[in-house]
Amino acid sequence: MTTTEASRDVVFTEIADMLRTVLAELGVDDAEITEQSSFNEDLELESIDLVTLTALISERWGEPVNLAEFLADKDLDEVIALKVGDLVDFVSGALARAGG
Amino acid sequence: MSDVAIVGMSVLLPGAPDLRTYWRNLVTGVDAITDVPEQRWDPAYYDPAGPARADRLYCRRGGFVDEYADVDPTRFGIMPNSVAGAEPDQLIAMRVAASAIADAGGDDRLPARDRIGVILGRGGYLTPGVVRLDQRVRTAVQLVRTLGELVPGLGAAELERVRAAFTEQLGPEQPESAIGLVPNLAASRVANRLDLRGPAYTVDAACASSLIAVDHAVRELSSGRCDVVLAGGVHHCHDITFWSVFTQLKALSTSQRIRPFHRDADGILIGEGTGIVVLKRLADAERDGDRIYAVVRGTGVASDGRSASLFNPDPGGQVLAVRKAWDAAGLDPTAADSIGLLEAHGTATPAGDSAELSTVATVFGVARGDKAVIGSVKSMIGHTMPAAGIAGLIKAALAVHHGVLLPTLHCDDPNPALDATRFRPIDRAEVWTDEVRRAGVNAFGFGGINAHVVLEQAPSAKPAPATIVVDEPVRVLRIAADTPEELLRRLHQGQNHEAGRLRLAIVDPNVKRIALSEKVIAKGVAWRGRSNVWFSPSPLLPTGGIAFVFPGLEAEFDPRVDDVADHFGLRQRSVGNGDLGRHGMSVLGVGRLLDTALRRIGIVPTALAGHSIGEWTAMSVSGMFSDRAVDDQLATFDPTAVEVPGVEFATLGCGVERVADAITNRPNIVLSHDNSPNSTIVCGPPAEIAELVAEFRQQAVVSAVLPFRSGFHTPMLKPYLQPFIDLADRLEMGRAALPIWSATTASPYPTDPDGVRELYVRHLIEPVRFRATVQAMHDAGVQVFVQVGGGQLGSLIDDTLKGAEHLTVAANSTQRGGVDQLRLVAAALWVEGAAPDFSLLEPTRQPVTLQLGSPLVKVDTTISTGGPSRLDELTADFPIAAELEALLRETAESAAQVIAARRAPAIRALTKRLTISTDSMPFLLDHCFAPQRDGWPDLADRRPVVPGTTLIQLMMDAAEEAAPGLKTVRVHDVRLQRWLIGAPAVDVTITVEPTGPDRVRVAVGDHSQAVVELAPEWAPRPHRAWSVANRTTPDMTAREFYERRVMFHGPALQGITALTTVGADHVGGVITSPDVPGGLMDNVGQLLGYWIWVTQTTKRIAFPVQMGRIEFFGPHPAPGTAVDCLIKVVDVSDRIYQVDAQLTVNGVVWAQIADWRDRRFDSHMELDEAWRFPERNALSRRQPGGWVAVAERWPDLASRELYLSKYLSGRERACYDQLPPRNRRHWLLGRIAVKDAVRNLLWDNGSGPVFPAEILVDDSDGRVTVSGHNGFPLPEVAVSLAHSHELGVSIARFGREPVRIAIEDPATEAPGDGLERVAVSNPADLPARQYVVAWTAGPADQEEA
Repeated sequence: MTTTEASRDVVFTEIADMLRTVLAELGVDDAEITEQSSFNEDLELESIDLVTLTALISERWGEPVNLAEFLADKDLDEVIALKVGDLVDFVSGALARAGG
Repeated sequence: MSDVAIVGMSVLLPGAPDLRTYWRNLVTGVDAITDVPEQRWDPAYYDPAGPARADRLYCRRGGFVDEYADVDPTRFGIMPNSVAGAEPDQLIAMRVAASAIADAGGDDRLPARDRIGVILGRGGYLTPGVVRLDQRVRTAVQLVRTLGELVPGLGAAELERVRAAFTEQLGPEQPESAIGLVPNLAASRVANRLDLRGPAYTVDAACASSLIAVDHAVRELSSGRCDVVLAGGVHHCHDITFWSVFTQLKALSTSQRIRPFHRDADGILIGEGTGIVVLKRLADAERDGDRIYAVVRGTGVASDGRSASLFNPDPGGQVLAVRKAWDAAGLDPTAADSIGLLEAHGTATPAGDSAELSTVATVFGVARGDKAVIGSVKSMIGHTMPAAGIAGLIKAALAVHHGVLLPTLHCDDPNPALDATRFRPIDRAEVWTDEVRRAGVNAFGFGGINAHVVLEQAPSAKPAPATIVVDEPVRVLRIAADTPEELLRRLHQGQNHEAGRLRLAIVDPNVKRIALSEKVIAKGVAWRGRSNVWFSPSPLLPTGGIAFVFPGLEAEFDPRVDDVADHFGLRQRSVGNGDLGRHGMSVLGVGRLLDTALRRIGIVPTALAGHSIGEWTAMSVSGMFSDRAVDDQLATFDPTAVEVPGVEFATLGCGVERVADAITNRPNIVLSHDNSPNSTIVCGPPAEIAELVAEFRQQAVVSAVLPFRSGFHTPMLKPYLQPFIDLADRLEMGRAALPIWSATTASPYPTDPDGVRELYVRHLIEPVRFRATVQAMHDAGVQVFVQVGGGQLGSLIDDTLKGAEHLTVAANSTQRGGVDQLRLVAAALWVEGAAPDFSLLEPTRQPVTLQLGSPLVKVDTTISTGGPSRLDELTADFPIAAELEALLRETAESAAQVIAARRAPAIRALTKRLTISTDSMPFLLDHCFAPQRDGWPDLADRRPVVPGTTLIQLMMDAAEEAAPGLKTVRVHDVRLQRWLIGAPAVDVTITVEPTGPDRVRVAVGDHSQAVVELAPEWAPRPHRAWSVANRTTPDMTAREFYERRVMFHGPALQGITALTTVGADHVGGVITSPDVPGGLMDNVGQLLGYWIWVTQTTKRIAFPVQMGRIEFFGPHPAPGTAVDCLIKVVDVSDRIYQVDAQLTVNGVVWAQIADWRDRRFDSHMELDEAWRFPERNALSRRQPGGWVAVAERWPDLASRELYLSKYLSGRERACYDQLPPRNRRHWLLGRIAVKDAVRNLLWDNGSGPVFPAEILVDDSDGRVTVSGHNGFPLPEVAVSLAHSHELGVSIARFGREPVRIAIEDPATEAPGDGLERVAVSNPADLPARQYVVAWTAGPADQEEA
């Protein structure tokens, strides 16, 4: 297992935990989360939930990982189609660039 | 050839609206033959004992589909009102084709559209649409010509009446329906509506047409040109001509029974129907896993060639066709197991049956083992002609598919020729036990065209694909129970259950959702909508309230409401996402549509709210405005008014506190929306907004610039408020039926109109506090929030109420159809204890019945007078009697007229008095020159004027009273001289003075006069109605015409119900005759008013003063009659509009007016708004420095009178009347200026409409003062006025501080008196003149200085 893969797994686990936190607030406590889960269709998250997630991600990884800027380039259809894996890619990429 | 599979089928045949019924009928042997329905052909044609004539029929039984002949036009994107004009068989073909495709598994299973063909057998017969066209263009003319020739005395006018009466019964002309004449449209319409792009055409080979269509289809598939072909036949013609042909050939059964292969078979019965099969190459069908009814193994087509007769079947050609088909199949027809069922042509004519049996014996040989079955479905449905082959083919395919040999009716004593064949008829269904089930189908056409098809069972049986039902609603499972255990148990039963405390709903239930529901029930905690599951252990309703929350503008706007509008039969407002204003109106329209739909199904709010302009939707559904007001006013609302240059919005994904911190040092950015804890919107200059967004993004706050630049909810909108205020002023304020929550104050709206208006303005320029509002509503007990529209608004509510008990549900979603989403809403609310009416959400089909017949025309009027004579009885036997009778009647009428004229009663002189008042003529209240506030106590101030045309009617009535037995046929030289005002009540004298044997001069006081011509009978009608070239569609509707007060008339006189054309020299419209004396004619003047409005820019105010001649050709149309009016403009001069007009009822001329003259009054486009809406607009214009100036644009006295009546109250008018005439003009100018100065001051400070008469101006003590009149609450206002030549000026300021305004001579040097001064001049259209106006400087001027 390479370092990148290892850190990717860690990022996925952490993001999945954050999503569980967000979902728990919505009353969902047993969501099945995989890299293939889509935010909108599978997890039924709305754009406002992404705002909460953005805050959680920012809290956890700080400045290098800015989901807000990531989302800024996307139009609504792209946001709707977003999958957990896309987020993991983005976060691990951002961490790699930041030298973490 | 390739083997071809039949993968889908559908029919519309006698007794069978669909395939399933057809199958049931075939198995059980249903006889669908009946008597001909009356609407197909007239019962009078049936005359079995009568002479042998082309129009005498001895047979009237057949197969008919009238009871099933309907289509659901909306399903095919056809306007329901165009159905009546379309050729019915085209629509039936479309319906049957669509259900054949559905039977084949639906659109999803079809290949590319350009690989799908449509080939239908259809004859070129006189189908109903063709007949209707023929009746209109030939029969009508023939009728009139023959009548005219037979009865020379009939005048052109009478004949025209005959023609009109006849064609009127045929309905309106519809050019697009005449296209039905073109036979290939039966196939083309299918291709068009179902979007099939391969070859689409019809073939005509008489009774062989359908099988030849199948033959073509097989070729298309074999050659690889198409991958799917719809093939079949269409025949819906029971026209009398068609029956006559078969009668003359003696082909119809004399016993009126159709008995194929019976020993005594004596002819056919005519049927009708449509059948279509979906064909595909067998290999493709197997690859795609299609359900295959049967395989077409071979087709054969051949003609009789030169044989004995064109009309008698010839076994030679038939044999050839059948053999070709079996050759194509590579099978030997004589083999022992070759065939199990032969669906014969079986016409049941002796010659037909005999030829066919001979063919069958020749081709198939004799029986070697069990006999195969022969039969014909014609015994059940009659001979369906071009559709006969497909009816037989589908029957045979079903038999092959199901393994059932099908019976034939009425063959109890079989034709002995059957003995020479290997076939036997059966009278009940039998199991088909052959190893390979194979069938043949015959169709032999008139003229010797023969076709045969060999069918075989599919190589392996496949289950039917899921049939697509177009309107399948989303499934909603709703279960109630009193205990969780019971709920679980019922969940597993999967059945709806209504009663119980605990409620669960699942939309579109599947395994996953049911599993989720189980967990949710087990936990016992409310679950509200995620994964389409709702559960509530303790319902929120009815203790909690329901709020309808209306969305404002959102970036994504994709409403799905078409089906909602269709389902509930609601008018759909324009929906689009163009510019902001229109988007705004669409948001409003969608909101109102859904609001109506929700209420219909019993979901009724207890409170209303809206986000941004959604608040207007809330107001509009609250009953605060009338529906009509909203429709009309918002429709005229100018979208470009909502464009504030140089501002943008940005949405920031965080709370308002954080945003507030960030914008503290950015004075140009303001908060516009505090949406929810995680959503805030700000507004400001684009550059600064972009910077702020970047900054927030950097801090990991999701942020975006929004695509709106309206500046709503910010002070930036302030300079652009006027159109909104005007809009609010135009909306009639009522009382809201429900509390509407204001997001400006986070509390309900006030109930008084002024308070509403004030808050309406604040809402536009203050931030939206949606978060606080939602919280406050929840605190006030609202627990259910229905988002009445699409978009994301609900998530703001959920964000705000996170953790609090509540339900949010959107009434529209891009995720599913509009009605389905309402089903979801209803389920969600049901779970919370609501009781919506789910039955109203059941799918509806709105079929339109097709008229398959073209019955003889019946007219319900007569044109002759007098009863039948004795000659009448003889006309049947002696045609000369009819002529003689007509001649005698004509002579008698002429004689009577001459005699009547001789002894015409003497016309006497008459004088009568009549009281004119709004009591005796209540309609005068709808004919007032001067609008006033509701409840204004002085009726006279409204100036209720008797319409000039009412005066004409009064004169006509008086003339007829003076000449009993005579009626007004013409009115000459009408003069309308002086207004007659109905308040206060006034008596007038009407005088009638005979001036000739048929004429009187009539006068109503000094108000009007005319010469009335009387006669015992109406004058002959003019030949034809006028027409105009270059018709142009008017730019407004009749309703807008009145709503915009193009004319001042109120409802009683608003007769124009359609504006149909307007051009440089004409205008046309429809007037629905009002129930008012002279009202119909008054509307002619109104229509002229519309022409003036459209074409003229000066002197647009006009009233009738003179008419040359009015002619009447019949009695006055009853109130409510639609009268077409066409006005031709003859001349326009500086003083006069001169026109001619014609009024027609159903194309028949009722009246004609020559030389109608309207006098033009002084007016100017700049005064137009004040003329029409004086309560909101001033004749004066505001000037910099806070004073007003009015230019006198009514130099002539009569025009001045009109403006005067709009401005002065009765008390002021009395003053005016007492003034020396030379002073009046300036006195009025000053009054207008003062009233306008005061009204402007009020409007500037937020006042609603103020009528000029509400401001009373007084100068009795030498000082000009103003006060509120009739209870108008006017604060202390100081005024001053001045006038000179054509200029009036005035100034008004709040308080007692004196103000002064003066007009000075420009030549004089200005004194140093502290007054502001400015030079002004007359407008260009008035005499050139300079003035200097001096006025007391106000606070505004000082600031400027």
